[in-house]
Amino acid sequence: MSGIIRTQGAQVGFNDLKLPGMWSRKIGKDLYEIFIGPQHPGSGHMRIVIRVDGDVIVEADPDMGYVHRTMEKLSEVRTWIKGIPLFERMAIHDACNVTLPYVRAVEKLMDIEAPERAKYLRVLLCEINRIAAFLYGFGIFGVFLGHSTMYMWPFGDREVWVELAEWLTGARLTHSYPVFGGVRRDVPAGFTDSLRKAIRYMRKRLEDYRKIFVDNPVIRARLEDVGVIPKNLAIELGITGPNLRASGVKYDVRLNHPYEVYDQLDFEIPVFQEGDAYARVWQRVEEIKQSLNILEQVADWLDKHPRTPILHDKFWKTAPPLYKKIFEETGRAKLGAVYAIMKVPAGKAYERAETARGEISYYVESNGGNKPYRIRIHSASARNALVYKYIVPGHRVMDLPAIYGSIDYFPPEADR
Amino acid sequence: MSGILDIIIKIITWPPLWQLIVLGLIVPLGVVIFILWFERKTAARVQRRIGPYHVSPKIAGGLQLVADLMRYMFQEVIIPKTVDKFPFIVAPLAALILSIVPVVAIPFTSIEAYFPIDMSYSLIISLALLTLSPLFIILSGWASNNKFSVIGGMREAYLITAYELVAVLAFLSAGAITGSFNLVDIVEAQSGVKWFIILNPLAFAAAFIGVLLSTSGFPFEIAESEHEVVAGAFTEYSGLVYGMNMGAAYLKRMIFSIMIAVVFLGGWKPYTPGEGFIAGYLVPSIVILVKATILMMIFSFFRAVYGRYRLDQALDIAWKILFPLAVLGFGLGLLEAYLGII
Repeated sequence: MSGIIRTQGAQVGFNDLKLPGMWSRKIGKDLYEIFIGPQHPGSGHMRIVIRVDGDVIVEADPDMGYVHRTMEKLSEVRTWIKGIPLFERMAIHDACNVTLPYVRAVEKLMDIEAPERAKYLRVLLCEINRIAAFLYGFGIFGVFLGHSTMYMWPFGDREVWVELAEWLTGARLTHSYPVFGGVRRDVPAGFTDSLRKAIRYMRKRLEDYRKIFVDNPVIRARLEDVGVIPKNLAIELGITGPNLRASGVKYDVRLNHPYEVYDQLDFEIPVFQEGDAYARVWQRVEEIKQSLNILEQVADWLDKHPRTPILHDKFWKTAPPLYKKIFEETGRAKLGAVYAIMKVPAGKAYERAETARGEISYYVESNGGNKPYRIRIHSASARNALVYKYIVPGHRVMDLPAIYGSIDYFPPEADR
Repeated sequence: MSGILDIIIKIITWPPLWQLIVLGLIVPLGVVIFILWFERKTAARVQRRIGPYHVSPKIAGGLQLVADLMRYMFQEVIIPKTVDKFPFIVAPLAALILSIVPVVAIPFTSIEAYFPIDMSYSLIISLALLTLSPLFIILSGWASNNKFSVIGGMREAYLITAYELVAVLAFLSAGAITGSFNLVDIVEAQSGVKWFIILNPLAFAAAFIGVLLSTSGFPFEIAESEHEVVAGAFTEYSGLVYGMNMGAAYLKRMIFSIMIAVVFLGGWKPYTPGEGFIAGYLVPSIVILVKATILMMIFSFFRAVYGRYRLDQALDIAWKILFPLAVLGFGLGLLEAYLGII
């Protein structure tokens, strides 16, 4: 907050301009201070304080923290399993990706590993989430640029993926799907056929998006050479995810530090060199295509392999016969009572995953109790938010929504 | 009894009153209600939605805008302490009135008895009146004493300088072709297929985009762009006054469309006004209004296709592309007059 009050050697006073009934404070000479947010239609749950000289932004201060929910502290007073629905609230439309490293870190402490089928199922939901999250970002981006069709189309097509996720997990958004030692449910009958249909549909729709949005002359004029993040700045600030790759750095946790079964899947991560807002749009379009490829391979694998237990033996052997019978009939594994009283051996673990917005990492420390001792989360949006301070100055006021939207910043994930 | 009825009919059909109240306010208001419905429905169709539906489902939600207007009417009008009250309230009223007034200088027929004013310089007068209302948008932005309002007003000011010259030059090219500022002469010159949209497509294109610029149509919805300046100059307005502001923009677009219909699309042209009020005044006005409505429909369809340009890009387009285009259109008009095409 102090960064906002303190301005370039100007006096801090409250009625410098003698405006009737209004506070006024002198900032730099010929500068005009505008608060974009937090109740501004173009801001989201954050504030960007910009100072403009004419129409050109001279300074920008991102002011985060409006949706801080003390996630890390809350997790310390909850049992281990309750951490999963808690951390999902960071990015509810990207729930599987966001909670997966937590689950994997705890598994690491307990020295167990999920069965292979569960790993494929996790990847399945991760990629469904990733596509849905990208489409969500596109929708917001479209409306920021005044393109109402690009707002409605991705939100409508996102429904396809949200409903697939609902069919698989029972919840549209907060799935709580990966649990320690496996996943909650197996795929329902006929799921892979619908998945293939959705993949075909999405490929067709991406072509439609290209026609109306990505290749639209107005949109190109707005995005090309706007909000350029140079490669060295991206590395210096620790930008992650599609924004980093659009600046020419080939870094993706799925490739560089493969987790689950990503090392057995065949996919290519696109990299763009331009680093501007337009490259970031293309980056996301290409990444959706890659996610579709991954989903196709997962669907093939699931078709070829018969149903096997989806929980690690440590948990599966405690399940009563009735649970096992229900699992054989419907594919649903009820969470065993063992999760409620679960204790995790003392130790420290660090895990990371690639979410739709970049790398998320969890540091989990246990003292052997039934609650975490300390959990530290470093989310992708928190790292990406820094970039506003460095790339917004020099642009015009109207570029701010374009840059904000192209970064695909998600405040609840950043503030935790 | 019949004498009183005659007098009432005479008063209603007295050209200045008829043209201002009926052709200037009531009919455009009806057209605007239709256009807003059309805009929402086409956008919904493109975007795979249903659009307005729950108010009057039998006529596909046609009364939704009436319901919206009622909401504006019964909403509290909040006047913040910090505003300059007199201009704050007067500016939207003046903008609304000034966007209707140009209709008195537009002929809807060729019969002199139905002209509200003398038509000799009607092109100049209507253009001059059309350029007045944006000043009051700037005024309302300034009077609001809100940063977003001031920025919105300044954007409006930038855009005025950009589109005004373009639109005026483009419309004046019709005067160059016919050698007259009389809109009746201009319409009469467009006999057969010699509509000025065919004779002078450059001027038509400049006028068309100029109107989009002047009425904040997509892709130039810049002065009220929600994600930068909330509602531009109208940020502090609420209730009926806000509704008036929004209505003024659409009415202005309607009057501009009528101008384009008269100057470039042959006015009442396939039809020749005959004797009497109905054949001589009502039917030609309907022809013009239908043409203007079709133009409005084209304007509103752009919402579903385009995003918005940046302010400097819009100014670039206006000064580097539209202005030369308008000048070329004017030159083309002079050339055609020289060659005696009309």
